Amino acid sequence: MEKVLSDKKAIFLFVFPAFVVFAMVVIIPIFFSAYYSTLDWNGIGKSTFIGIQNYVNLFVNNKDGFAMAIKNSFLVAFFSVFVQVPLALILALVISKGIKGEGFFRTVYFIPVIISTTVIGQLWMKIYQPKHGMLNKLLEIAGLDSLQRNWLATPQTAMASVLFVIIWQYIGYHMLLLYSGIKAIPGDIYEAAEVDGATNFQKAARITIPLIAPMIKVCVTFALIGSLKTFDLIYVLTKGGPIHATEVPTTLMFSNIFLQNKYGYGSAMSIFIILECLLFTVFINKVFKAESITY
Amino acid sequence: MESAKRVKEAPGYQVQSSHAPKKSKFGIKNIKAYGEKFILLFIAAIQIYPLLWLIMFSLKSNQEIFGKNPLALPQKLLWGNYERALLDGNIGRYFINSVIVTAAAVVITSVLAAMASYGISRMKWKLSGTMLMIFLLGMMIPMHSTLLPLFIFLKKAQLYNTYVALVLPYIGFSLPMAIFVLVGFFGTLPRELEESACLDGANIYQIFASIMLPLIKPAVATISIFTYLSCWNELMFATTFVSRQEYKTLTVGIMGMVGQYATRWGELGAGLVIATIPTVIIYISMSKQVQKSFTTGALKG
Amino acid sequence: MKKIWSKLLACAVSGIVALSSAGCGTSQVSSNESNKPAAEAASGEQKEAASGEKVTLNVWHLWTTDSDANAKSFMKVFEQYKAEHPNVEVVIDASENEAYKTKLKTAMAANEGPDVFFSWGAGFAQPFVDAGQVLPIEEYLTDDQKANLIESQRTNLTYDGKLYGLPFVSWVGILYCNQEVFEQNGVKVPDTYEEFLAAVETFSSKGIVPLTVGAKDGWPLMFFQNILALRQAGADGSNAALDKAASFNQPEFVQSAQMLTDLVKAKAFDDAALALTYDEAKMAFLSGEVPMTYMGSWLAGEIQDENLSTVKGKVVAKNFPSIAGTKGNKDEFLGGAIDCFMVNNNTKHKKEAAEFAAYMAEHMARESFLLGAGLPAWKVDTTGETIDPLVQQMVELANNSTGFVLAWDTKLSGEAAEKHKTLVQEVFAGTKTPQQFVDEMDAANK
Repeated sequence: MEKVLSDKKAIFLFVFPAFVVFAMVVIIPIFFSAYYSTLDWNGIGKSTFIGIQNYVNLFVNNKDGFAMAIKNSFLVAFFSVFVQVPLALILALVISKGIKGEGFFRTVYFIPVIISTTVIGQLWMKIYQPKHGMLNKLLEIAGLDSLQRNWLATPQTAMASVLFVIIWQYIGYHMLLLYSGIKAIPGDIYEAAEVDGATNFQKAARITIPLIAPMIKVCVTFALIGSLKTFDLIYVLTKGGPIHATEVPTTLMFSNIFLQNKYGYGSAMSIFIILECLLFTVFINKVFKAESITY
Repeated sequence: MESAKRVKEAPGYQVQSSHAPKKSKFGIKNIKAYGEKFILLFIAAIQIYPLLWLIMFSLKSNQEIFGKNPLALPQKLLWGNYERALLDGNIGRYFINSVIVTAAAVVITSVLAAMASYGISRMKWKLSGTMLMIFLLGMMIPMHSTLLPLFIFLKKAQLYNTYVALVLPYIGFSLPMAIFVLVGFFGTLPRELEESACLDGANIYQIFASIMLPLIKPAVATISIFTYLSCWNELMFATTFVSRQEYKTLTVGIMGMVGQYATRWGELGAGLVIATIPTVIIYISMSKQVQKSFTTGALKG
Repeated sequence: MKKIWSKLLACAVSGIVALSSAGCGTSQVSSNESNKPAAEAASGEQKEAASGEKVTLNVWHLWTTDSDANAKSFMKVFEQYKAEHPNVEVVIDASENEAYKTKLKTAMAANEGPDVFFSWGAGFAQPFVDAGQVLPIEEYLTDDQKANLIESQRTNLTYDGKLYGLPFVSWVGILYCNQEVFEQNGVKVPDTYEEFLAAVETFSSKGIVPLTVGAKDGWPLMFFQNILALRQAGADGSNAALDKAASFNQPEFVQSAQMLTDLVKAKAFDDAALALTYDEAKMAFLSGEVPMTYMGSWLAGEIQDENLSTVKGKVVAKNFPSIAGTKGNKDEFLGGAIDCFMVNNNTKHKKEAAEFAAYMAEHMARESFLLGAGLPAWKVDTTGETIDPLVQQMVELANNSTGFVLAWDTKLSGEAAEKHKTLVQEVFAGTKTPQQFVDEMDAANK
């Protein structure tokens, strides 16, 4: 057995094909980004090697609101992990317990994920539209006129408005992952608990959640990395505005590389994003390691 | 099969009613059940709304889309939007290209990821942990920063303007997540599976193909859905790595309905509906597959 | 295990070598690399070109749909070109505006641009020209073409005295007024800034938003500051500051920002303007909801298209009004020729590519003009054609023009342009004072 499982040739044949593709299109380009990040380069003409100057500009003499962008991405990350994933877990628990129309709910809850971000962005722009938008209309009907806002146009409310959409769109995504995790639990595990007359809540808290901890970890990791890399929806909804209020590191990176012709500086941002994600992933692993349970 | 049935029946209403001897308690339970149902349906309505809205959007004129009541029903159903979107001679071609590129990416990603995950999680070698970390690193990489190096690479490799120019990067960027999910999944399978097969004289490839592959079906279905979604809707690579009509994908074709100074948004909506329908269908059938894999008892071990 | 790693290493190294041979900072011209996937096709083509036979040109542009006039005009002229040039095979690739910029920049960065491409002059193409990637095109023009290309339209496409791009139409900034709404409310269509302010005040007091602007996209809002600066400092004054020959820290530019804040205070714009895209804001004008907008001449085509607008025939084109006691006057316009075709310096078929660009630009000048996309950058003969009345009004305005200033975001280089658009938004939102605006403009446009 030992011998079969440590067959070097087999390992090579299993892992190498994926690695080659991955190295070609992901790893090597990243080394190039790392190299670009040491250049003063407009993306087209001549470049000058400037060492870590781009990073110094990013962290020490920063003037373009990079700290604000990081703060915004942390906000997204925080709400993804502590609001989005828990809500997805509740939904997954409720619909997986065998209610009528389980398949229907599972399918419908996922719909916002499968619809192109362009569409989601357009829809929410219309919901947030200050004059004719649904949100302000509803507030008016409810007699809460004082709460009406220019949701996406005011720096104070723009980030919260964008955040809400991001959280909402991907609840279905995490729900599906958690749902598959729950469904993979063998039914007989619950038998003893049922004999003891445990309530649904008790079963969820004592059996299901501990058992799907690995899947929860997957979700938390995805939610976190996804938040730190979030781009599309913000780009469609606000392009980072108004006045940089909803800027995140990826939107700043895009703007630097493709709009402002600061290829080197933008690359430094992308390297920062990678390191930031790495740091958080290691952290999540530490948190979950303490309580890993298998069945 | 048995266990699945039990899961389905266990906490349902039938069980509740038999467990509820007192009438008053039954009443409260009933209210709770209806309340739950109501909340679930309410959320369902919210989640399905974007799809309905998109369909309405696709039947409107610019005036209605940006006018006083952007969320209202269209006054007149402009089927012409669909006609125009479909009459763009290339939409059929784009559609086929999207199918080819996405299908290739999904299938190859699943195969490569299954093999690599098996090698990493079940086989014994020193650098397996490092290898996993390297793959996981891929999830953290913002796609935009790889655009230029990838473009140069594809040009040099003479892959620019081919299906491969899209399939290859899509696989590369889908692998990390697929491997992440699969490694986790393999970790939950008992060791005895391989041990008994090994005693029966099966070699490692047979173990992988005939014992492991059938077991990981649900996980493969899950990663297929996610790979499909990320490839089907991808725009930046699809625009940049292909500049011949013959290889353009549907997303690029639809974004082509956006003009330099003027855009007919209704048509764009119609294009988006056309692109979304297969996604909905594939998702529904795939998620049935996910469900099926769970209920066939494959996982009972 | 060692073997695997050494193999992987070998593979990675060869990959890196392949990539770095492309070079990233060098501007070397590699003419042996073609834009085609198969090398043999390329070599075959070279032979054919030498014997005067079929030549293949790769052309990139951004007209993916016929929803605007330049797109229609391109398609029409292109058909004409194909019929007249059977020996040239043109492979077209169109990408949507936003995606186009990313795609073109990436291709140029890799030194792999197409033979002919749509581009913008001034700040946008500056890095391409600096890197030697654009063909100086003058010598490829025929004498007739040289004579027909209007001298003043070359400005934004000339770098260091050489012409690098061929424009087809120029645009001018126009104050569009919906006469019907003006009449209904008893307001005079403004000729002076006082009348303009009076109109703003009357509309606003009647609950009508006077001006629509898609401030979320940045550039439509920027137009207002740009034209106010033009009125304040005049064309020469504006251009001097933009060309870094003078500081922005002058009373005229401070005043341009101040007047924008004053307009905001006078409720000239929608409260939610910062949340509106160009498309949304435009619709408010095309539906007759808002009586005025200041926009490029390209909007005329849409205004006069009854499928897109309900205000056809009701709109009058005006200069942005003059402001008493300033250096500018009403006959100076925001605008100019900036959209153009450029030819790649690395193309194997310089002659054919340049001829194609010239043919398209010259003929598109006429067609785009007739379709209302702007004013022709070439001398064109339009006898016997009916010209849309709104376009005719713009022609008359522009014929009296005494000076042009490009929209600042196209005049400035990438970084300064982005900064500028944000600064105008900040002035608009009241988070930056006019003085901060000019100081930061100076810092950005070094």
